[in-house]
Amino acid sequence: MKTYSARPADIERAWHLIDAADQTLGRLSTRIARLLMGKHKPMFTPSQDTGDFVVVINAEKVRVTGNKGRQKLYYRHSGYPGGFKSVTLEKMMQDFPTRAIEHSVRGMLPHTRLGARMKKRLRVYAGAAHPHESQFQTEKKEAK
Amino acid sequence: MPRVKRGVTSHHRHKKVLGLTKGHQGTKHRLIRRATESMLHSLNYAYFHRRERKGDMRRLWILRVNAACRARGITYSQFMDGLKKSGIEINRKMLADMAVREPESFSNLVTVAGGKTQD
Repeated sequence: MKTYSARPADIERAWHLIDAADQTLGRLSTRIARLLMGKHKPMFTPSQDTGDFVVVINAEKVRVTGNKGRQKLYYRHSGYPGGFKSVTLEKMMQDFPTRAIEHSVRGMLPHTRLGARMKKRLRVYAGAAHPHESQFQTEKKEAK
Repeated sequence: MPRVKRGVTSHHRHKKVLGLTKGHQGTKHRLIRRATESMLHSLNYAYFHRRERKGDMRRLWILRVNAACRARGITYSQFMDGLKKSGIEINRKMLADMAVREPESFSNLVTVAGGKTQD
């Protein structure tokens, strides 16, 4: 007999609410990435997007260990000569509090079109408020 | 002895090669020289990947069984150890299938394999 392969119609997408306050950045991100990829489901199929929705709140309160706040650098290039910029984690958390989590989760997802779709199901918010309340009205138990 | 011209056979050969490289990128499905090399490679890859598939599938089954186990509060390694000790010899393919199609029977297996960690 053939191994089960998930069809798009069979996939049920749950919503997970994750509080990032006082969580370590990388350890939190692995949990988020796993939910987005659907690796926690027995029906996981690599060629299909079996993942769930993840809402992360309190992203501004995420922690890192050691001196990474001052030492961890994020790089980008503008395309112009001399356009290689770097910014410390501390500075980035001040300016864009959600970006650190988004960046680290993106790095853990597949770098494919499928991964891009998984990334869209991640919603990160700096504070405790989020506009997805209605998703958690009926399925409060499933969210952890 | 009739005269044999070479165009006919080479045309047939070229047709065969181009048929095999259908869908290859760019000139690899049009020009016979590019297509010949592309065909040799693709058949070679296909041969090896058919063999690799056995391992790929086993990896997928293990991943699925692990997901199902963790949802029931036990890890894959504990589960397999428990099954072995209780003399259950269901292979990973069937376990993965049970995890998807028959969650209740799978729950029973988890209870048998490591009753105390079950919540």
